[in-house]
Amino acid sequence: MPNVSNIHTLNSIKKHSAENMIEVKNLKKSFGDREVLKGINFSIKKGELYGLLGPNGAGKTTTISILSSLLIADSGEVFIENLNLRTDTNAIKRITGVVPQEIALYNDLTALENLMFWGGIYNVPKQELSQKANELLQLFGLEDRKNDRIKNYSGGMKRRINIAAALLHKPKILFLDEPTVGIDPQSRNLIFEVIEKLHHERITIIYTTHYMEEAERLCDRIGIIDNGEIIAEGTLEELKKNSPVKEIISITFSGMNNDNYKKLRSFRSDIKLTENIVHFYTSDAKTELPKLVSFCNQAGLEFNNIEILKTNVETIFLNLTGKQLRD
Amino acid sequence: MIKIVIKDLKLFFNDKGSMLMAFAVPIALITLFAFAYGGVGKGNKSNKIVLQVSDLDNTTESKEAIEQLDSLKSIQIKLKDLEDAENAIKTGEASSVLIIHKGFSDSLMAGNVLPLELKYDEAREIEIGLIQQSLIPTISMLPFRLKGSKNVIGKRLVKMTGTTDLQTQQSIQNQSDNLYDVIAKSIVESSQGNDKIKNPSSGFFGEDMKMTKIIKAEHSNRIGLVQAVAGTSVMMLLFSVVGIGLGLLDEKKEGTLKRLIYSPIKPGNILLGKMISANIMSILQLFIMFLFAWLAFGLKIGSQLPGMIITIVATSFACSAFGVFIASFAKKREQIQGLSILIILAMSAIGGSMMPLFFMPAFMQKLAAISVNYWSIQAFFDVFWRNLSVTDSVFLSRILILLLIGGILNTIAVVLFRKNILKLV
Repeated sequence: MPNVSNIHTLNSIKKHSAENMIEVKNLKKSFGDREVLKGINFSIKKGELYGLLGPNGAGKTTTISILSSLLIADSGEVFIENLNLRTDTNAIKRITGVVPQEIALYNDLTALENLMFWGGIYNVPKQELSQKANELLQLFGLEDRKNDRIKNYSGGMKRRINIAAALLHKPKILFLDEPTVGIDPQSRNLIFEVIEKLHHERITIIYTTHYMEEAERLCDRIGIIDNGEIIAEGTLEELKKNSPVKEIISITFSGMNNDNYKKLRSFRSDIKLTENIVHFYTSDAKTELPKLVSFCNQAGLEFNNIEILKTNVETIFLNLTGKQLRD
Repeated sequence: MIKIVIKDLKLFFNDKGSMLMAFAVPIALITLFAFAYGGVGKGNKSNKIVLQVSDLDNTTESKEAIEQLDSLKSIQIKLKDLEDAENAIKTGEASSVLIIHKGFSDSLMAGNVLPLELKYDEAREIEIGLIQQSLIPTISMLPFRLKGSKNVIGKRLVKMTGTTDLQTQQSIQNQSDNLYDVIAKSIVESSQGNDKIKNPSSGFFGEDMKMTKIIKAEHSNRIGLVQAVAGTSVMMLLFSVVGIGLGLLDEKKEGTLKRLIYSPIKPGNILLGKMISANIMSILQLFIMFLFAWLAFGLKIGSQLPGMIITIVATSFACSAFGVFIASFAKKREQIQGLSILIILAMSAIGGSMMPLFFMPAFMQKLAAISVNYWSIQAFFDVFWRNLSVTDSVFLSRILILLLIGGILNTIAVVLFRKNILKLV
């Protein structure tokens, strides 16, 4: 007779779509009184590269920490390749690779020694591991530095090894938590190329970032997260299409106070203010801009700069939250 | 310039770690060392040295002699069976036993050499020196203090001259009686605070006490060398293992601990791995220390090798457990650095790493049992000095205690590690 937990697992498997590699349902997490995740839901198909985009403190790392079993959610369910994260933690750990935000390597070991160690704890056979480590070193352009200690590496080189260390056991799923923070353009491009290669090999990837360019370049679908909630989700085209805003007129005023702000709101009520910059959301900037300039002149509002921003992840985020991604 | 001074002072006084190291740790150590070596806490009472006495003669005179010895301010007499007393020396519980052999009374009355023997542990030569200093004058004066002593002195002098002429013997006896009166008077004066004649009969009977080493230096290991190697090695090992334990906190800081938790490896195994590596490094460190002592100072290992290996393994187990234990309840490296120095120096001071235990007051010697150093150093003494076999119950009991300490500390470390692990990351 099957026990209760087995029945629960079987039912759970039936409930969620077999196509989904990762399925997150109503995930909640609080630290003390602070609610970091407020019931997020998303699902990722096999081979998909999913971008979790949001500003610092939005809940990206907490989400990754829960998916990679570092933290336990207060409530909600996570299924990874039909396995329940709560009950099949170790099996999930074996098929996932995690690239943490910090460079989690042993500084006094060489790159090769680090890779051999990190692959070793996943029980990769020694010969296979050695071959894989050398392949990755070649892929990341560090083969000639493999016997140098990590402490002698540049930031970008360390980031590359940091990613390589998560690939040694050939994971089906890869969590990349802001893997390009603080690195040089050369390393960034190299990392992008590697990620694109992994994507091409149909590895399912969750990529967290607060750089919209990265999300736009790499991701099949993007989940925009803010204050512990996913506020928009879809492909870049879907996000653009579904956004009521097609363009943003961004005006930098020389001085902004309450009175001036009120005057601007009398022109359009849906404006958003960030310091001295006021954003006007529009579907047609060409028509709207002359009217806006004329209004500002009549109202005596002096401005220094005007920009018309085309719809991108940044403008969508700005429209949704009134904040910039890098706030 | 003044602003820089003020800023630096502010930074210093705001830094709890610096304050701890600058004031609290030295004050704590001064207090500890004052108790351990400075005689603080003893008041005006002198620290009595325990002397075991085994009375095989069991006569009125031997009992009277024991009473005389017990009246000494510097010695505390403990009556014991000879076998028990010798065992206590072999196990390091006592330094010596004064044996009053059969025939003591007869020898005393006949003026013969007194059958007294002090069996002792050469490892405790300073303590034995102090005992000798107290015993010899008292033993020398025994004939003067016992009943019928006047007659005894005369007989002794006659024996010393070796004359057989009765007239000469009588003359010696008469002169002895006069001399006895003078000496007896001087004893009274001496006891009243006149220091002119403190020990008038020194040499009379003073050489009667035979000195026998129970634990002799026949194995050629110098006691000082064993003390130096064992004491220093254990103390330095404790510093090393704390460093290894603190590696856990470094892993947390560097993010590698988090990465380990991402992997399928069980959290308990992470700690177990640390424990095993700490053990291996500890064993290696101790081996190298003793190897150095062998090569550089001629420490005789030879037949003591099995005992040495067992002691090194048990010590490494206990010490590395201490290192992991220290690290398991700290959240930051800085929290533990000052505290660990304090704990290690304290354990080393009371445990005998810095100085032999008998220098310390009795209560500090009892306190020594709470330190890893004590059990380890005693086990090394068992091996290299007392020549105890690896099956000796005393040696095994010390090893068992070391393993027990290691086991308890490891268990607590595992519990604390599990409890803190999510907080750590």
